[in-house]
Amino acid sequence: MVFWVESRCAVDKSKKIWRKNLIKTLTLGLFLFLLSFTFDAYNQGQLALVLMLFIGVLSLTVLTGASGQISLGQGALMAVGGYASASLITNMGASIWVGFLVAIFTAGLFGLILGTAAARVSGPYLAGTTLVIALALPSVANRFESLLGGNVGLIVDFGSPPIWISNLIEVGYEQWQLWVALPVALTALFFTSNLMAARAGRSWQAVRDDEIGAAVSGISVARTKVVVFVVSSAIAGLGGALYGLRGLVGPSVYPVSLSLTLLTAAILGGVGSIAGAFIGTLIVVFLPDLIDWVISGMALSEQISNYLPALLTGVLLLATIIINPAGVMGAHHHRKH
Amino acid sequence: MSALIVNDLVTNYGHVRALDGVSFVANSGEITTVIGANGAGKSTLLRTISGLEKAKSGTISWGDVDITNLAPEEIVRSGVAHVPEGHAVIPTFSVLENIEMGALFRRRENSSDVKVAISEVLDLFPRLAERVKQSAGSLSGGERQMLAISRALVSRPQLLLLDEPSLGLAPLVVEQIIQSINQLCRSTGLTVLLVEQNANTALAVADHGVLLALGKVVSDQPAATMRADSALRTAYLGY
Amino acid sequence: MNTFISTLITGTANGAIFALAALGLVIVWRGAGVVNFAQMGQAMFTTYIASNLITSGNSYWLAFIVALISGSLLGMVIDLLIMRPLAHKKSSSATKTLAATIPVIASLGILTILQALAGVFWAGEERGFPTPVNSFYFKNGAGTLPFSAFNLFVIGVVLTVLLGLSYFFTQTGVGLGMRAAALNPEVARLSGIKVSRMRTLSWAISGAAGSLAGLLITPSTNLSPNSLDLILIVAFTAAVVGGLDSPLGAVIGGLILGIGISLVTTYGSPENVFLAILFLLLAVQLIRPNGILGGKQVRRG
Repeated sequence: MVFWVESRCAVDKSKKIWRKNLIKTLTLGLFLFLLSFTFDAYNQGQLALVLMLFIGVLSLTVLTGASGQISLGQGALMAVGGYASASLITNMGASIWVGFLVAIFTAGLFGLILGTAAARVSGPYLAGTTLVIALALPSVANRFESLLGGNVGLIVDFGSPPIWISNLIEVGYEQWQLWVALPVALTALFFTSNLMAARAGRSWQAVRDDEIGAAVSGISVARTKVVVFVVSSAIAGLGGALYGLRGLVGPSVYPVSLSLTLLTAAILGGVGSIAGAFIGTLIVVFLPDLIDWVISGMALSEQISNYLPALLTGVLLLATIIINPAGVMGAHHHRKH
Repeated sequence: MSALIVNDLVTNYGHVRALDGVSFVANSGEITTVIGANGAGKSTLLRTISGLEKAKSGTISWGDVDITNLAPEEIVRSGVAHVPEGHAVIPTFSVLENIEMGALFRRRENSSDVKVAISEVLDLFPRLAERVKQSAGSLSGGERQMLAISRALVSRPQLLLLDEPSLGLAPLVVEQIIQSINQLCRSTGLTVLLVEQNANTALAVADHGVLLALGKVVSDQPAATMRADSALRTAYLGY
Repeated sequence: MNTFISTLITGTANGAIFALAALGLVIVWRGAGVVNFAQMGQAMFTTYIASNLITSGNSYWLAFIVALISGSLLGMVIDLLIMRPLAHKKSSSATKTLAATIPVIASLGILTILQALAGVFWAGEERGFPTPVNSFYFKNGAGTLPFSAFNLFVIGVVLTVLLGLSYFFTQTGVGLGMRAAALNPEVARLSGIKVSRMRTLSWAISGAAGSLAGLLITPSTNLSPNSLDLILIVAFTAAVVGGLDSPLGAVIGGLILGIGISLVTTYGSPENVFLAILFLLLAVQLIRPNGILGGKQVRRG
């Protein structure tokens, strides 16, 4: 059973948490910003990719870690955000920042619809349904060809740095990607960190741990589940909009494997842990590069080297779920109050 | 002369010590009843004997075989049959399928005897014989309990563990079931360990009584003596 | 009219295959409590084995039998090496939320590994797969009939398998034991039934069923590491539509999906197939979450 005691202590405590999270977030941001100067162009792009996927994985962290529901369709929700943003940019010439806002809103709306249906469904059913949604995505894109660019998609990009920046310093294309991705990712990170600590986050965890107890304590279980979906989808949409700016928003950009990648990252790093989400994304993005580097010395056939990263990722996922399902970050959570 | 010897049995149920050093002997061919208030540990005792729960320490031996912490499937093969509480039958199976389920593991060595055992058990409970093809879910409570017992009996046990057969049943039905068990015990030498809430009914038919409270044996006497002991009754059974 | 009949027959033949795949999912769900997302990955893998036997000169039928046997072996291995250890692990507080979905995630991991292994062993290029009988439409004197020998073969094989399984589960001791272990493991154990053995048997049967489905559908989809992903989706939808707890429901669901997809492909457009599947899946979960033949009990996630 979870009992809620509202007191001044709780309010003061949450202010402290906000401040702590802000400091943590800004420190990470500064660190990554400085790091970007030491990376070569390719790795800057990879780091940018980490930040974009990180937002997607965060959406899964919120969903699974906070509410225990699992989704294989976060990639599709990223696509929703990507399409919303891209169509606004291409058809109406909006800026990428407006695109982000629209992506959040639109994906959140989809999350509302999905969440209402999902409130009645759980576990493998939810997993399977979200998988089908991810698969149905190309068909939807094809129906609205003019708006959504059909099978090919819409072309968008990060643009170039504004004059005042490029006057100060020369910024490469990948580095600019990174600099755009950074504040967006940090915002998502800050928001999510506070969310999990705040009252909303706690009541979600109550639902996750003990539905009946939560209901008896006055928490509306169904409404909580829907809200979690909306928030998770909105975050995914933001990540998707950012992800699409890499050059193309189309069905080939958001395949089913994207959803699986996000899930893998979440599991590897530690489900429900924000730090874990970041670690997992780092692994998922840089491991293939690492493997390629390791095997470049060996004389392996192209056939093997093509599939080796996927094989190792799958083995890693399976090993994690068998040996230590709580992932790298381990069980650092949530006792019942 | 095989007997059930339980020695210093300790079983945990979550964080609670459900059995806290239980020791007693159930003699072969007798009905031993285990009584006590709710939560005393009676069901846990049966579940530990049949292998559904793991004992933390202590031993259980049946005949000369140590059956402590063996798997339930093996314990059944040693001649111990457990009828858990709540008339555990499979509602979507027919009456016959439920009974056959209990004899599956014997089919290979002894298929002809399995047929005999099934017909014997249907003779014992004619109401089931009438409803052989019906689904178990459509039976009354009493019939379901008879079915659960039949499932256990058809494995030809030498030790029968019965967990609260009277639960939720009308007194007349309870009487019928208890008398069938009694008759079976006297005629075949079946050893019965009977857990019951209804101490009176149990002690009336049993040879030996064991009173449990909070996981410990509080009294271990011939049934008749225990039944007459009104001080004990008031203290532990509340009437 | 001929188009309609041929659509129906193709739909029924495909539906039979989907029914088989869905049945595999249902058997493992009932017997082990897991929705095995790797099932069609296993089928793909064993179809590759069959394909290699055929291309190195062996008969189709030898490859057929080897595929079925390796399918059941693969299923058993997955249960023994992965699913059983997983079930025995104690859960910490962080993993309690995931408890029900851990096996699902594990099955996704297995799927990824199988697909990558197939790529490593046999490369990702698509290859064809033969049929044992003619897959062209019969010709009689007047013109072509709206079905092929292969259609009949598929329907015949699946029907035989379904009848065989039905007999197995209802009339044999092992079948009774498997059903008991699935419905009430505790009472089954008290009856002397070796429940974990029954569980492994479920994986074996389901593996073989999946492999058979793979052999029958691959001539139309061609063979590549991802070729059977869509079949998994269809099988899953069919099982949910029919009721995840109901073998008969799986068959009915499979037929509904087979005929439905066939109709949509012929009279609608092929791109709309996924939308139709999604629509059906959502509709069932909103209107009748337990499926057409599913029981009324609360669905355990």
